[in-house]
Amino acid sequence: MISYPRWLEDTADTPRLRLIGIGNAGVHIADRIAAQASSELETVAINSDQHSLNTSSAGTRVAIGPLTTHGLGAGGDAETGLEAAKESLKEILGAIEGADILLICAGLGGGTGGPTAALVAKLAKERGALPVAVVTSPFRFEGRRRSAQASEALDELKKHADAVVHFENDRMADFSEPMLEAAKTFAACDELLAAAIITLISATKGGGPLPVSLPDLISILRHSGDGCLFGSGSAEGGERAAAALEEALRSPLLDGGRLLKEGTEILVNIGGPSNIAFVEAASIMQSVSRHVGEKTNLHLTLATTQDDAPLTVALIGRTGAGVARQVPQSAPAVEPLSVVPDQPAKPKPSTPKVHQEDLPLEPVSKGRFIKSEPTMFEGEDLDVPTFIRRKLLR
Amino acid sequence: MARDKLHVGLEIGTTKVCAVVAESRANGELRLLGVGESPSRGVRKGEIVDFTNASKCVHDALADAEDRSDREIDNVWLGVTGAHIVGFNHRNSANLPAESEITDAEIEEVECKEQDVGIPKDHILLHSIIQRYFVDGQAGVIDPRGMLGTRLEADFHIIHGIANRIHNAIRCVKEFEIDVVDVVVNSVASAQVILSDQQKRAGALIVDIGGGTTDFLVYQDGAIRHSGVIAIGGDHVTNDICIGLKIPIARAEKLKIEEGSATLEGVKPGERITLKNDTGFSGRDIDRRTLNLIINARLHELLSILRKHVQEVVPEHLLGAGILLTGGCSLTRGIRELAESVFQGTPVNLAHAQSVSGPASAFENPQLSTCIGLARYAQAVHSQMPQSSLLDNFFKKLSSKLKIV
Repeated sequence: MISYPRWLEDTADTPRLRLIGIGNAGVHIADRIAAQASSELETVAINSDQHSLNTSSAGTRVAIGPLTTHGLGAGGDAETGLEAAKESLKEILGAIEGADILLICAGLGGGTGGPTAALVAKLAKERGALPVAVVTSPFRFEGRRRSAQASEALDELKKHADAVVHFENDRMADFSEPMLEAAKTFAACDELLAAAIITLISATKGGGPLPVSLPDLISILRHSGDGCLFGSGSAEGGERAAAALEEALRSPLLDGGRLLKEGTEILVNIGGPSNIAFVEAASIMQSVSRHVGEKTNLHLTLATTQDDAPLTVALIGRTGAGVARQVPQSAPAVEPLSVVPDQPAKPKPSTPKVHQEDLPLEPVSKGRFIKSEPTMFEGEDLDVPTFIRRKLLR
Repeated sequence: MARDKLHVGLEIGTTKVCAVVAESRANGELRLLGVGESPSRGVRKGEIVDFTNASKCVHDALADAEDRSDREIDNVWLGVTGAHIVGFNHRNSANLPAESEITDAEIEEVECKEQDVGIPKDHILLHSIIQRYFVDGQAGVIDPRGMLGTRLEADFHIIHGIANRIHNAIRCVKEFEIDVVDVVVNSVASAQVILSDQQKRAGALIVDIGGGTTDFLVYQDGAIRHSGVIAIGGDHVTNDICIGLKIPIARAEKLKIEEGSATLEGVKPGERITLKNDTGFSGRDIDRRTLNLIINARLHELLSILRKHVQEVVPEHLLGAGILLTGGCSLTRGIRELAESVFQGTPVNLAHAQSVSGPASAFENPQLSTCIGLARYAQAVHSQMPQSSLLDNFFKKLSSKLKIV
């Protein structure tokens, strides 16, 4: 059942958004985003490692588990991490109070990020906020224990967060050049993640002539799991629309735009100066729609920023639930863009696959009240028959 | 003021639009002359969603009322409801020059003005009803006129709602060149005819469960202490039946009225109700227990939510005169027993308009409580009008409310 707070739908003011970085990886990414974000952003860093917090530039810094970890971090142990989070429940609550949308970013392999992110999502949900998690799972070579921790944390997170955008580091690395310096590979992964989050922020913050509605955003991200599609690019000058789109499609997570065909929900976020021409937006959408499949649901958002900013195109979406992601063996039906180096993707060795369960998304029966203003009480939509909500029949 | 003054109450309800024409006699009696009704279209949860259809229904109801009462209607008192209408308590205070006598001027100074109470910008103040005065902190002053004091305080119950929605309802009536004298919140109107002064003093909760909304109001120590609207009503019950038993809405409504009950007691397991053939509907047997379960679940939930709302402000043991149920949905079988079980022992009674004369079929019908209450409210305001400053206040209030329309 769709469970975002319905009252958010009708609020005229933009919802209050807060970025929460959890664990070493999360704090690092949050800092990166805060530095890049064009507008003022509320950021919170939550970590059990005091050192990481000291170097963070986040507006609010929460050291968790001072008694459990003595500020030295959870040492990659999820149990220690969870204990630390539970110890500092009050501080965490204080940090998330008052936000309408929480963007939680964390690395799931470590000890602090995974369990704390799930806990934060749960707490946020209980307070009627909308938790959206953007997380990474560790590289294969980081060992089984971290993989297992990550998949456990992801399962837990999916229970509580309204949407989980999940990036597999492996997958990102698979597509990067093999001989690239290790540091650059890591940096590229971080960069991608940061870009994804910035897209989400600019899409939700609206401000532009065509913002995305919250229900749309949630439905786009709901099932993303490991089938997340993302790419972004920016360009200036005469052919900026085409150039930005090309760059976006080059993203490893889109495989030269080919993966778009498998996408079921795709959000195209066009941002930049207010002089974006309608023709430019239309040409971008046209190119994108050539790449997507018949059943793909395309959403367009336009966000305007400062006038000297380059035009950016970001694609974010998901592949259909249950559809195995496969790189097409035969020549793809759609022509890959010329700029994309045609690299054959290796079939992925079996990684401990996180099973993405379908959330029950049965059509909510409201009968004659389907179009009226919902009657909400304590987060429940009272227009849905009581016997259905209480599961009284059958 | 002419004798035998005519008062017309109009309620644009979710199920029906109805207009009550009543005459105020010289001896203070309110006599019902006629009731006009029209099934309502374009109203959901007590609010107008289809202006054209709704105003047609208003026209039909007013025309019907004119026919039946044999009077011409030129102005009405309009009842309003909807989930946007909110009530809260507010205290105002004024410092008086040393040791001066409190007069009407001081009372007016402490009166609640729209700008004092901090209601949202798009809202309009509908009622500010005096609860009690304090003179120099002395509680329980009913009328401070003539007393000496340096500080006058007053508690008010404030009811406000979204201005545009209320103006929509007013415009619906003004279409036909009929004046809206004032708008009155439904629960405030119902209380006028359902509660006696004694009950108001003893403390009572009145619950008007209509088609689209449940309006409630709490009296305590003779003053309104709490009020509110929950956007759930009989329509929800019908809708639940329609979905649960998979039968058309019209069928569900009929079944609810003819067979439905809010209790599960006395239902034999496996008892069936036969629905007859009808155009577009082939007959079917349905389980009586299932039907009652659906109704019971919805009304139990509604009453529980209501209880939560009421308890926030007034504990149940202060409801000396108990709970009074009215409105169309109060006709549901077993609802009184259900309400008693939800409110854990507070006595619950079914109520309809009291102390009015006319055809019993009209005032004994709980569906008309609000509408008759509007006429009574009008009578009460008119009878107070000649007295001093109330007149000015009244017109001031009116003009502020109506000038935007």
